[in-house]
Amino acid sequence: MPHQVALTLVAPVRTGEVESLKTLLESMGDGVANGSVVDFAALDGVHFARFIVLDEARDLRDEPLPASLLYMVDLDLPREQHLGQLVDLAGDGLDRLFGHCEDYPERPTREQRLDYLRRHRVREQAFYVNTVGRTRRQIRGEAELHDKLEDFIDSADGLRHKDPRTVRRAVCDHVEGDPSLRWALHPPEGLDLGFRLRELAHLVGVALLTLVLLPLLLVAAPIFLVLLRRHERRDQAPHVKPPPELVQELAALEDQLVQNPFSALGFVKPGLFRRMTLTVVLFAIDYVTRHVFNRGNLAGVKTIHFARWVFLDGKRRVIFASNYDGSLESYMDDFIDKIAWGLNIVFSNGYGYPRARWLIADGCRDELAFKDYLRLHQVPTRVWYSAYGQLSAANIRNNERIRAGLKRELTDDWLRAL
Amino acid sequence: MSAPELQDVQGLVARGYGSLNAARFLLLGIDDPAAARAWLGGLTVTAADARPNGRAVHVALTSAGLRRLGLDEAVVGLFSNEFADGMTAEHRSRNLGDIAENAPQHWDWGGPRTPEVHAALLLYARDEPALGALVGEHEAGVRPGLRILASLETADFDRREPFGFADGISQPIIEGLSKKGPPETTLRFGEFVLGYPNEYGRYTDQPLLDARPELARNGTYLVFRQLRQDVTGFWRFLDEVTRHPDGSSDARRRDRLAAKMVGRWPSGAPLALAPDGDDPERATANDFAYFHDDPYGARCPIGAHIRRTNPRDSLDPKPGTGKSWAINRRHRILRRGREYGDELLTADRAVSGDAPEHERGLHFICLNGNIARQFEFVNDTWLNSPKFAGLYNDADPLVAPSSPHGGTFTVQSDTIRERVNGVPRFVSVKGGAYFFLPAIGALRYLARLGG
Repeated sequence: MPHQVALTLVAPVRTGEVESLKTLLESMGDGVANGSVVDFAALDGVHFARFIVLDEARDLRDEPLPASLLYMVDLDLPREQHLGQLVDLAGDGLDRLFGHCEDYPERPTREQRLDYLRRHRVREQAFYVNTVGRTRRQIRGEAELHDKLEDFIDSADGLRHKDPRTVRRAVCDHVEGDPSLRWALHPPEGLDLGFRLRELAHLVGVALLTLVLLPLLLVAAPIFLVLLRRHERRDQAPHVKPPPELVQELAALEDQLVQNPFSALGFVKPGLFRRMTLTVVLFAIDYVTRHVFNRGNLAGVKTIHFARWVFLDGKRRVIFASNYDGSLESYMDDFIDKIAWGLNIVFSNGYGYPRARWLIADGCRDELAFKDYLRLHQVPTRVWYSAYGQLSAANIRNNERIRAGLKRELTDDWLRAL
Repeated sequence: MSAPELQDVQGLVARGYGSLNAARFLLLGIDDPAAARAWLGGLTVTAADARPNGRAVHVALTSAGLRRLGLDEAVVGLFSNEFADGMTAEHRSRNLGDIAENAPQHWDWGGPRTPEVHAALLLYARDEPALGALVGEHEAGVRPGLRILASLETADFDRREPFGFADGISQPIIEGLSKKGPPETTLRFGEFVLGYPNEYGRYTDQPLLDARPELARNGTYLVFRQLRQDVTGFWRFLDEVTRHPDGSSDARRRDRLAAKMVGRWPSGAPLALAPDGDDPERATANDFAYFHDDPYGARCPIGAHIRRTNPRDSLDPKPGTGKSWAINRRHRILRRGREYGDELLTADRAVSGDAPEHERGLHFICLNGNIARQFEFVNDTWLNSPKFAGLYNDADPLVAPSSPHGGTFTVQSDTIRERVNGVPRFVSVKGGAYFFLPAIGALRYLARLGG
């Protein structure tokens, strides 16, 4: 079974073409993609996808940054395969979108398109997958299984008064008797051995390397902490309220499905110290999301499906993009209440973030300053695709449990999952 | 914390006036700012440190009302976004469930098709005659330049809401007011009144002016929604889905399912403590927790109304711990609503078919220091979300606007769950607005604006 990968494309937009590109994006959706220009639903193994436009900007040294078009997708397939499908099924759409970008060929051939996309790929610094190895196909299949079993239980008169074993027998018989459900009696494909070995090697390799470098790190730690505190005291942390028009524009795109996309862009604080700190922090985050938080729980937050952190413009900026359940207000509250340290350790290296202490304390605990910071840095996600927009992460996990339980010892948990 | 300045806080924060059984809410529009300021300056508003002497008077203003009084737009913009935008901003309507038949364009007041509401005058008295006198005085006091847009009557159903269940039992206990409670359920004063530390130990944003008194200190936000309750529809639906196999009504099952939806029996006894039947001795019981007493909803269903509005210790990531309670404390509201309608219908009468088709419902009023994190969060994430606590398609069975095909309501049990399908909408929105309930000193400041 394939593991999930992220793909990020970043292409600079030609001067003067941002508005027409935005108009094109507007025609593709109002927060949820409508299938025009690029029909995501026709592409294999796509969980979530989005197109966003970053406006022209000036960096902290007042140097101009061009506008850019970003494509981000969470996939069950190798990136190459996805790019191939994209080019084959949405070539015209790609031409219309990337036609606004620098150096996009006039009348491209298939190969030229592919080549363009490959050249504009940017690596993610860190990537979070709710549950590694769970494919879109599995998620959709298990959702159908759940719905059909619920209907069966509703229709099976008197099942409620039977003992658990009888209930279980009836449910299993039903699954066995329905050819459209029989697949559920087999466990989902496991992850490839090759992938698992590579992950193991990464897990051990990085740990060993850290161990080897430990003496050095211990020596460096006090110096790092002194520098850190000096920066933290000195950094400006103004509380800026986002303009109401921005909040309205963003909010108008949200809350159409069970999940929402979040895209936020910020400057890394100037100087080598912050850039290096953030590089190490994101490396560490990628490590723990790969090896520790890979089963439905990101340090206490269970409502995130996918998330990524990507450096842009030679590490001058970072974009954070995620897909989460519920409203932005609940998402932000989860951040503050459940993983404040995890937010601070990354975002406190970002310009304008509420003042943190020791990299992990305070920061987003300044609730309203933090919420305003997020809104202020949020980028509208007008074209956003979800392959299962009516399923929460909790639903997906529960559906998986129902299926797994068909072949295991009967437990109270399984009965409750139904 | 510095002691709350109760002499400056409007008394509605401290009490719901249980002893003042009669109330009327006047909604006002301002045509002439000068006249409105003079009217505001002449009001005697009840303070939180005063025992109500048979009557109480409160006044609240919308953001449009503050603008109309002459407050600078830049200052209005320093209030919270929710308040400055108002309840009917488009994206807000989606979040609140104010769509389709509930959309603001159909409202009796507060919507885009009715005159802009600028102020609410809340009047309370011991009984109807005394209220009549109080209302009379205030109607006479409304000068030319002010218009009464609506005069909303309330009813006293002996603390029951129109579906017939005791209401208002679980209110947050607030530090600095008289009542004492356990730390898990005691909230900082700043959760409800601006100018004091909130549950994050911070001060909720507020406009700070050079002028004394500060404009927002000792004030709070007041959410007002007129909710029509389809009482006959509610009981008839329940009757329909709980009938005996022979098609006759099964009142016991019907009433049990209603209690499962509410989470309390009609007396108020919570299902978490009284799972098998109503128990009037526990009518006001509020000392319970879900993770400890009922983790899987076998007694009080996960989707029951009171379990969603106040999940207590059942919230992630560590149910049953102080951390879970702490998260719960950040999403509480202070309810100050009153019922309206002609009479309380019993379930049997509602089902019988000869029930008078009067409009009944709740003038829902709540106070909170942060509308987004308190009222809106509870409404959206806990009540309207069909995904609350791992559910699938179960929005709040009592008050949520259902999906077009009707939602489901799942009744967990020790064996396999029971599920009620096609739950229709029982509550509709007839009006609403976000108000600010200023401090008494701030009212005087507003009365002097432009002068």
